[in-house]
Amino acid sequence: MEAHTLLSKYGIDDRVWDEMFGREGIRPAYRNMVSAIESLSADEMTHKDELAKKLFMSQGITFTVYSSGEGIEKIFPFDIIPRIVEAVDWEHIEAGIKQRLKALNIFLKDIYHQQFIIKDGIVPAKLIYSCPNFIRQMVNVNVPFDIYTHISGIDLIRDHDGTYYVLEDNLRTPSGVSYMLENRSITYRIFPDLLPRNKVRSVKDYPDLLLKNLVSVANRQKSDPTVVLLTPGMYNSAYFEHTTLARMMGIELVEGSDLLVDNHKVYMKTTSGLKQVDVIYRRVDDEFIDPLVFRPDSMLGVPGIYGAYRTGNVAIVNAMGNGVADDKAVYSYVPAMIRYYLNEEPILKNVPTYQLENPENRKLVFENMNRMVIKKTNESGGYGMLIGSAASEKQMEEFKRAVEEDPRSYIAQPIISLSSAPCYINGVLQPRRVDLRPFALYGPEGIDIVPGGLTRVALKEGSLVVNSSQGGGSKDTWVLQ
Amino acid sequence: MLSRVADSVFWMARYMERTNGMLRILRTNYISSQDEVRDFDWHTLLLNYSDAGEEKVNAIGNHSIRVLEHLLLDRDNGPSVINNITRARENGRAVQDHITKEVWQCLNDYYHLIREKHIQVQIKSGDPVTALDALIQQGMLYHGTVDITMARGEGFNYLNAGKFLERAILSADMLNIKLTELQYNLQAPVELPALRYLLYSLSGYELYLKTHRGNLQADQVIQQIVYNEHFPHSISYCLRQLLRYFERLEPESLPENYRQLEFLIGRAMNNVKYSIIDTSDGEGLKQFLQQTRQELFGIAAAFNQYYFGNS
Repeated sequence: MEAHTLLSKYGIDDRVWDEMFGREGIRPAYRNMVSAIESLSADEMTHKDELAKKLFMSQGITFTVYSSGEGIEKIFPFDIIPRIVEAVDWEHIEAGIKQRLKALNIFLKDIYHQQFIIKDGIVPAKLIYSCPNFIRQMVNVNVPFDIYTHISGIDLIRDHDGTYYVLEDNLRTPSGVSYMLENRSITYRIFPDLLPRNKVRSVKDYPDLLLKNLVSVANRQKSDPTVVLLTPGMYNSAYFEHTTLARMMGIELVEGSDLLVDNHKVYMKTTSGLKQVDVIYRRVDDEFIDPLVFRPDSMLGVPGIYGAYRTGNVAIVNAMGNGVADDKAVYSYVPAMIRYYLNEEPILKNVPTYQLENPENRKLVFENMNRMVIKKTNESGGYGMLIGSAASEKQMEEFKRAVEEDPRSYIAQPIISLSSAPCYINGVLQPRRVDLRPFALYGPEGIDIVPGGLTRVALKEGSLVVNSSQGGGSKDTWVLQ
Repeated sequence: MLSRVADSVFWMARYMERTNGMLRILRTNYISSQDEVRDFDWHTLLLNYSDAGEEKVNAIGNHSIRVLEHLLLDRDNGPSVINNITRARENGRAVQDHITKEVWQCLNDYYHLIREKHIQVQIKSGDPVTALDALIQQGMLYHGTVDITMARGEGFNYLNAGKFLERAILSADMLNIKLTELQYNLQAPVELPALRYLLYSLSGYELYLKTHRGNLQADQVIQQIVYNEHFPHSISYCLRQLLRYFERLEPESLPENYRQLEFLIGRAMNNVKYSIIDTSDGEGLKQFLQQTRQELFGIAAAFNQYYFGNS
């Protein structure tokens, strides 16, 4: 049969957890999906693959690369085979993320107010004050409902035995949620009937939940507060996401130059004069948001917006200063935070992390460098990272030197192999490494996590780097009922 | 509505209207260039729709294919069709939450279409008419999509205001181009094909035939392009539509801004309405067209100042 040629070349590595294949063959969650595509010929599969690309292109789900004068439209690579998460796994993930976010949110309030966690010796003061994303201007600023992390994306990976680990918390302006929504809408175009037949839970509530939360953090006593989405502009690589979210929520998409601050109130410039803004879902980073307080050369922000925020005349989502909680060195203290604030054991594990400020850790890491990942604490997107098993001697030496010069800016973690999932590449299914980023919404009524998320995949064979800037792609993510 | 959004919607519509106008005039001119014994002269058109220097204009002015390439596909030529479509798309992209998803996709498809290889090959070495037809058709699709999907709100009104203002400018320009080619001398027996091609470019030939039974006269052609209220490309029609959509903006306008623009549109309408076309007075005709263009540009500048917050 055709299908078995599709599957026949699927080689799995015993040291890696495969999402589809277990010891007993195809895992139950995948059986339905596999039997549906089994009957398809290679031509049909290729046709579906091409259709998906065409749909992305014509819907303008692209980003522009301006390297060679004229912009080239690129699509974010999409693999047509969905990644499937079983209901029981999802329950575990959901509970774990909720617990983690509760603790992180209390941590942010604490660190910008009384700092009990430092006084009780759980987190060293030096670590916090040396963090470039600890924003002194946020000290003693009260944020609406004490919520800092309204929107977050928690990156999860799976080790060789299938255990989920939290790799990173993204608490500032996490992106990718539009791909969660668009990937789903592409899947039902290319695989008719497959979603209902597999009882896949829907992700389409995300914009409604987000809007409900945004409206509810408004300060003015007003039934219809003005909510806007602040974008850095159309040259930002996530601009497609900004427009999609604004459209789905029916809110105004604004740029910094559309807003002005007068008497600590924020207004937008409309054709019929100025209109007061109550809530800003900003996709502009902290350091660019107010040139009067942060980077003076920023053209993306709004002068005076920090003052308006501090006064409580405008709600800003996410809060400013969240970077101190998703710093890669602070990360290793999250399990301790959960124990300290909630008196609970962490549900989701952390990847063991070595602070390189400690000379003993440094020695240990340098001796075992080929089994370690070394990361810069304040970089993301797969930059500023060294994977020991794939690095040359020279690269290792360079990193060692950089670490010695500024140990606070680096951490090390043992290499976690990342689970693999089937991808349709060159006409056959092949395993590629994946992670999972569910998106959580924290509102006055609690935390909601839509059942799904963004599965990022390292499309290069053997690669562990899933970031889109480094040749990664994405998959639709199914959570089964 | 945000001033920036209104500005972008207005310009998106203008670029799309301009694209349609250019494609049609290029199509008729190209066909007429194939139908003549002597070399077709593209100079007047190039002076309007190219920012290339005199040297380049002279070098390509008698080569139809090179002119098409330059006016359609040349990225270095500011007013080229590909640049207009790109700008329309960029404006559309910046206001995606104010136009419907269908309109955005249509603009996006337009952009991908003109960049497609087979279109470029048809223009450079195949049958340019096929390529032009495909492009014109995509433009028609855009207009239909706007009509069927867009809500009749502020955005739609700015979109139409932009469209009709641009169309009035285009009609005045095309008339001016053709009359310049004839050196504004309409007393000498006018070459009939020239007038016919002018009407073709403005999609007005069939209406003319029905109204005047095929009797092609300069006087009547100009009358149709300036005054005919049933001709969607006449200057009068465009101004009336512009006023119609502008009036719908009143509830969302600041009163003093509204009065400024209403005055300018009303004055332009009256100046057109109470004018007299005398084909024996070439100089007078030229002045009339120039004055009309000035007033149209004045309206555009007033939108920019009073509604889009740019000074």
